[in-house]
Order: sequence, then C-alpha cells, then structure tokens
Amino acid sequence: MAKKLRSLDHHTQVRLIPSYVLVVTWVIFTFVLIGWVFFASFSTSQEIFSDSMFKFESGFHFENYIRAWNTQKVSVYFMNSLMYTVVSCTSIILIASPAAYVLSRFKFRGNLSIQSLLASALGIPAIMIVMPLFSLVSRLRLTNNRWLLIFLYIAMNVPFTTFFLLAFFKSLSTTYEEAAYIDGCSPMGTFWRIMFPLVQPGIITVTVFNFITIWNEYFMSMIFANKPKVRPVSVGLFNMIQAMRYTGDWGGMFASVVIVFLPTFLLYIFLSERIIQGVTAGAIKG
Amino acid sequence: MKKKGMVVALLVLAVIVTPLFAGGSAEDAAGKKTVTYWSMWNEAEPQGLVMAEAAEAFEEETGIAVEIVFNGREIRKTLQPALDAGETIDIFDEDISRVNSTWGEYLLPLEEYVSKSYPTTGGESYSDAVSTALIDLARQAGGGTLKTAPYQPFAFVVMYNKDHFNKAGITETPKTWTEFENVCAKLVQAGITPITVDDAYMAAFFGYNMARLAGYERTLEMANNNEFNDPAVLEFGKIWSDFAKKGYISKKAASNIYPAGQIEEIAAGKVAMYLNGTWLPNEIKGNAPNFNWGAFAWPEMGPNGNGTEANNYGAQCFGINANSQVPDEAFQFIVYLTTGEWDSKLAKESLGVPMGKNSTWPKQTAEAKTIIDNTTTWMTWAAGMENLADVNAKIKENFSKLILGSLNAEQFYAAMNK
Amino acid sequence: MIIIFLTPAMICYLLVFLYPSIRTTIMSFFAVESVSDPISTWSFNGLENYRTLFNTAIFRQSMRNIANIWLVGGIGVMVTALFFAVSLTNGMKFSKFFRSVIYLPNVVSAIAMGTMWINYVYNSSYGLLHDIFATLGMTTLSETLWTGPDKLFWSMLVAYSFGMVGYHMLIFMASIEQIPKDYMEAAQIEGANVFQRFFHITLPFLRGCFRTNIVMWTVFTVAFFVWGQLFSPVNLSNATVAPMNYMYEIVFGSSASTTTVRDSGAGAAVGVIMMIIVIIAFSATNLIVKNDDVEL
Repeated sequence: MAKKLRSLDHHTQVRLIPSYVLVVTWVIFTFVLIGWVFFASFSTSQEIFSDSMFKFESGFHFENYIRAWNTQKVSVYFMNSLMYTVVSCTSIILIASPAAYVLSRFKFRGNLSIQSLLASALGIPAIMIVMPLFSLVSRLRLTNNRWLLIFLYIAMNVPFTTFFLLAFFKSLSTTYEEAAYIDGCSPMGTFWRIMFPLVQPGIITVTVFNFITIWNEYFMSMIFANKPKVRPVSVGLFNMIQAMRYTGDWGGMFASVVIVFLPTFLLYIFLSERIIQGVTAGAIKG
Repeated sequence: MKKKGMVVALLVLAVIVTPLFAGGSAEDAAGKKTVTYWSMWNEAEPQGLVMAEAAEAFEEETGIAVEIVFNGREIRKTLQPALDAGETIDIFDEDISRVNSTWGEYLLPLEEYVSKSYPTTGGESYSDAVSTALIDLARQAGGGTLKTAPYQPFAFVVMYNKDHFNKAGITETPKTWTEFENVCAKLVQAGITPITVDDAYMAAFFGYNMARLAGYERTLEMANNNEFNDPAVLEFGKIWSDFAKKGYISKKAASNIYPAGQIEEIAAGKVAMYLNGTWLPNEIKGNAPNFNWGAFAWPEMGPNGNGTEANNYGAQCFGINANSQVPDEAFQFIVYLTTGEWDSKLAKESLGVPMGKNSTWPKQTAEAKTIIDNTTTWMTWAAGMENLADVNAKIKENFSKLILGSLNAEQFYAAMNK
Repeated sequence: MIIIFLTPAMICYLLVFLYPSIRTTIMSFFAVESVSDPISTWSFNGLENYRTLFNTAIFRQSMRNIANIWLVGGIGVMVTALFFAVSLTNGMKFSKFFRSVIYLPNVVSAIAMGTMWINYVYNSSYGLLHDIFATLGMTTLSETLWTGPDKLFWSMLVAYSFGMVGYHMLIFMASIEQIPKDYMEAAQIEGANVFQRFFHITLPFLRGCFRTNIVMWTVFTVAFFVWGQLFSPVNLSNATVAPMNYMYEIVFGSSASTTTVRDSGAGAAVGVIMMIIVIIAFSATNLIVKNDDVEL
C-alpha cells in the first residue's frame, strides 16, 4: 500500500526526472541498437554498408530468414539448447542451494576454506580446465555425448550459484529455524520446506543468469559438442556468423542472429515476470 | 511447495524427453566404413555446401560414408588437441604451410597413393591428372615427400578494380614504384581512393614492403627476431606517411576491423586496390556481384629488395591422419573432390581454380596465374611478419598511427624498435 | 546432513575444477608444447614460463588492458548500475519495463552485440554516432574513427560495459528489494529525503551486495575474451588483447601465422596468474566489506 502511495506522489515524480531522462535515453539507445539488427536482417549486404539501409529500396528480404533457416539446422540446435539449459538449470539449483545453506549457517571446520575454494573456481577460466578435461574425456570416448555436456554445464555453474545464494541465505533471520526446531522439524526438512522457499527471489534471479549463461555458452560446447546433432545454438550461431563473414552474406547473418536471439528474448520477457513475482512476494512476506 | 513440485516435474519431463534426442554418438551401420573429415570450411560457405553434396553422392556411389565436421577456421585451434587425444579423424585440411609444417607429424605420406590411377583420373595416375605445379609445391612444403593433396590455389597480389583504372585513364598496371605512384595520383584525381588495408592484412602489407625494400631473407630475419633496426623500416615510414598525406591510402585503413576494408571500401566501389589473396572475389561476390577484377604483382620498390618475382602463393590442402584406420577410403574421397565433376563444381561455386591439369583460372583471378608462373622466390605468408604475436601487434598499432599522422616516419621507426 | 548437502557440489568441484586446475598449475612449471601431451614429455623448468610471460610485450599489454577495464570500466558500470537500481526501486513508473530493457543487452549473445557496435554504432561513415554528430552539425566529431588505434580500446570498453550494466543492476536491485520496508517507511515518515535514505539505509544494507558485485566484476574482467576477439577478429592487437586472448593464442596456436608456436606451459602460467588475481580480490573484499549479519 505504502509503495503505491509513493509512486503516485507527484513530488516524487518530479524529483525523479533526472532518473527518467537517463533511463529513457539508455532504453532508446538499446532499442536502436537491437532494432538495427532487425533492419539489417531484412536488407541485402550492399545496403547494410551504405547510407541507404533504412530506406529499403529493394524491399524487405524475407528470403534472408529462409536461407538462414534452411542452410543451417537451426531447429536442431534450438531443441538441443533448450534441453541442455532446462536440465542443467534445475540440477544446478538442487545441488547448489543445499550447499549454500549449509555454508551460510553452520560453523564447521573448513567452512571458510570451502567457500574460498568455490570462489576460486569462479576465477578459473574455462580454458584452464578444458584441456585436461578434453584429454580425459577423449580417452573415455565421451566426446559429443549430451550427458557429459550437461554435467559440464552444471559443474561449471555450481560454484557461482552457491556463492550467490550464500549471500541470500545469510540475510535470512535465524528465527525461522528456531521455530521449526521447536515444532519438531528435522534439519533437512527445515531447509526444503522453509528456508529454500524463502530465497525464491535469489533462486529465480540466479536461474535466469544460469539459463542465459548456458544458452550463450560457446567455448565448452565448441570443444565438447561439435557434431551438428548435439550442437547448441551458441556454437551454431558462431559458425553461421563465421561462414557468412567469409561469404559476405551479411543479410543472412543478421537473420541468423535474430532467429537465435528471439527465443532467448521471448523467454526472457516471460521469465522476467517471474523475477518480479518472486521479488514482490518476498516483499509482502516481509 | 508448488515451486518444488514444478521443479521435480520439469526434471522428470526432461528425463523423459531426453532419450528422444539421444543417439548423438551414433554407431556406424554394421560393415559400413566411415571416413571422418575435419574441414576448415563452414557449412554455409560455397566450399562447405559443395563438399556436403559431394559426400552424399560419394556415399551413394561407393557405399563409403563420409562424415564432415565443419570447423570453420577454428580448426586452427581445435585440430591438434583432438589429434593428440586420439579422436577419430581421417582427413583434415588447411593452408598448405600450416598442414605441412605445423601439423606435419600427423601426416600420412601420400607418394604411393598419387602414383595410382582412379575412376575419375581417366587412366592416368593422380599426380599426372592434376596440376603439376601444385603437387610440386606440396612436395616442397612437405620437405621433399608428398604428404598432402593440394586444392584451391591462391596468390597474394594486388587485386584491383579495372573499372576504376579505366575511369582514371590508367592503361597499364604498374611495375615500378614510380609507376605505382603515378597510378595513385591519377586515381586520386579521378576521385577514387587508391589503396586500403585492414587489421587482418596489415602485417602482410608491411612484410611485402619490407621484402621489396630489403629483400626476403632480411625480412624474415627481422620478423623472427623482432629486430627492426633496418633503414628499410624508416623508408617504409617515409613512403607511407607521405602517401597518407596525399590521400593515396584510405584514412579508414587505420580503423578498419576485418572485413571492413574489403566490404566497405573495395566492394562499395570507393577504393581501387587491395593487397590481398585471390580468394577475395569469392569473399565479396555477395556484396559486389559485378566487380571487374584484375590482379598485378606488388611493384618493385628499390634496388636492395626483391622485385615482382617474389610473392606469396599457395593452396589449401588435404592431409590424411597417419593413424587413420581407413586411409585408402580417405584418399578415394580426396580424389573424388579434386578431379572430375566435383572438382569443377567446387571451383565454380567458390570462384576457385580446379585441380584438373589444363584447367583455367576464372576470369576474376586469371591474371594472378601469370604472377605465380613468374615467381622465382616463394615467400611465406606475410613474409613472416605474423610469426610472432608481438611483431604483428606492433605493426598494426604503429602503421595505423602512421596513416593517421600521429606518428611521423622517425617516430614510426622508433616505435618499431621498442 | 551437512555432508549430504555439500557432497554433490563438492563432487562437481573436484572433478571439474580441482583436478584440472591442479594439473594445469603443475603444467605451468614445465615446458609443455601441446596441452594433451602425456606427462612423460613434460620437462621441468621452474619459473621459466612466468619469466617468459613477463618478458613478452603483448602479455604485459594485456595485463595493462584488464587493469584499465577493471578500474575504469568497473567504476563506470557500478555507478551506473547502482543509479539505475536505486531509481527503479524508488517509485519510477514502468520500472518493470525499464528493468527488462536495461538487462536485455546481457541476454543477447556477445557476438551479436559486438557486431552491432562495430558495424553500426562505430562505423565512421554510416554509423549511429556518425549520424548523430552529423545531424548536430559537428562534422569533425562525426568523422571520428572510433576504431582507430587511439580509440579502439575505449570503444571496446564502452561497448562491453554497456552490456554489463544490466547484470550488476539486477544484483543491486535484488538486494535493495530485500531491505525491510519498515525501515524505509519509518525514514520517510521522519522526513528523510532521497539522498539521506540512500546513504544511511540503502548503502549499508548493500555491503554484502557490493562484495558480490566486485568479485563478479573481477571474475568477468579476468575472463575477458569474446569482446577482445570481436574487436580484433583475425589476430591480436595491443588495444584489445586480454590475458585470455593471449593464452588462447599460445595454447592453441596463432590463428593467422602458418608456423604456430604453441606453449601450453606458458598458457597454464597465464591461467594461474589470473586465478591468483581473483583470489586476491575475494580475500580483499572479504576484509574490507565485512559481511556482517544484519540484526532484524
């Protein structure tokens, strides 16, 4: 209630004019940037690199999209990415949240060391770990195996997710656990039924991050999943762009970009509502 | 509680749905041989498209399956680790120098294979049916033994716009530096920018100039030792800062990020010349379908250096993995791609040169053939200036500044010697 | 219970981070050419790899570059992100919409974003900046070569930072939303204005959040790779090289030169140096920004 009152407050709105100006400029710039890609995807290569791009003298070239879709196996890549991302994201939460909870609440020997280890994992660039892994994986003949790829995605993102959720768990009051203990709830039950739901905003936010990270992840995918059947969109897009750079087909290249980016964009809009739900739900409970 | 239920439901769904997508690592059909080819091309490039078709036709004709993994140029990074780790790779391809020197230890010698005849070689042995010059080059690159099968030859020369030259009233291509300067002056008068470059080719540009000013041997020395205390470097600085002031070289050359030089300046018809490879027409045919191409060798620049007989040329080539389980089948596919019907198709679609013995170069790059024929000193890529990352980066930074005028010739020389 | 809860995460860590990191760290003290060479071919050479690195001009340049990215970019991004976060949680209308749009660049693949910046925004003849300045009549400014040698690094930094603001803004917002509303309401009732509320309530609550953001920013800076590749697509440039780009070149071989010299030992050394930087950042922020529990 108080929040609604505030936003209708005329005085506040006037105070916020500088904010509006900056935010709106930023937003317009973003639209222009992304809008340009849409325009380019309907143009010919010649038009893109000339003054006349927005005039569409030769009309809208929908065939760029058809070409991008046909010569590339965009649907296969898309389904692959979808599967990898969904499975990975759910698994990551199931693995990382218990760990984050335990690290944030319980004082035991090695707690801080484990936290430092996990944090250091964040600073280890993919290149560092990829090659020993690749040697190992090749010897085991597991290259181009979907489950291996999913396992890698999960393992790569668990440290960050744990670290992220740690801050959220830390900020929760201990009264909940005390109450649960009094009520006779087991520690594990307390976690799943009470603490876990309380960090919803954090979980939703970090899942969105993970989703996008895994969706756009291309380095590991390129090395471990190169065959078209298992390839995700990120590698597919990179290949398409490379190819089109060498063939000079810029219209087709931007069409590919749009095809690949549109689902993420739509998914993002859909998911961002969940963020807001989670956040306001947290506010109401508080 | 609802959340947890949803999570579980999603996971279950995923587990159920997954087997539908599984089977990524398919087993070969019983008894069928498969050749795995790691290609330097991208799926959508003309070469990629033609090869995919050829692979299908090959399988129909011979029953041998060909699996092509289109790496694109990333193959330069992904191949060796894969080979070292024992991944099944039978054929791979790339630039002739790279395959022979960098990947030389993985190659299966091919002398035996090329002395045989195949269905598409019309009774002759393979090496007789294809371009002798290229086979010789490949043999040379392999240190005396033929270890690779070349295709798609190229030369690194000045590619130019004949329409521009006509418009400016230029009737002959320049062979000496004075002639080159005159050509530039005439082009500027006609309102055309003479030459440009972008960050992918600056090192080659510099290398060629050094070879013309100080000789190829000395250039290699400079490049490999990162030592530029040669008067030729100062000379380069003077020439090009002068040219920049006169507008002979596009100001944008200082800021062009590949492929801006070839697309925004050459294809767009603003610039007349580009020191580049004969692959250029194929790369920008989408942007400039009716370009009137011509080629000439980089002119001689002084008495201490090489003249137009020193050039960089080469080819892409196929190599067979020494550990391949199916070398015969692999070479069969290579023959299939480089002779007969598929050879012509590959060349036609990519504005390349067929391997067939008496084949002609496409008109866009025909003049480059004469240059190769007259080349007596073979230069490596960029005359060696890309061998060290430090050197390459230095050249790009300082040459750009020279063009912009933020460095004069003396400062350029000093910066190159830091 | 602790053990059960921690085990899956630890298994992931051990297999995917600990084993490879240890192996790579060890590799950094040996002369190794190919990354998958068997251990028998490795020859011990102590700190030689590190010495080679610091004697390589382009590696030193890459370190300078990420230092600039971290400091200048970091300040720019954090200030902008915080400003947006506070604005959007302070009663702006359409805040949900704005939030989505500001975060959007982070969702789009870096490859796509980078291409937009290079081919559209920074194009010196037909680009956005050119058009804007030309319309404003500032012709010299409109002809600026944004990707020229002196500006390339800063152009890249701006493009990169633009995409990062949304991410850090979201982290700030998630934290701000967790500040108990009664504090804010009490302060308002007592007549505190926007600035007072910000400095005395919001900022202290955000301490933990700052720590997260600084560490994440350090991690991203250390892993800076794709943008460097986009702005110098074919080979390394002094203006855009980051340690990761350099490491990619020496471990896998140069993408342009046909006589590649691989040095996985030195590449491993680069990785170790990067790792140390992150550990320093984590420990430093741990000490400076104490993550005390907030008494509710």
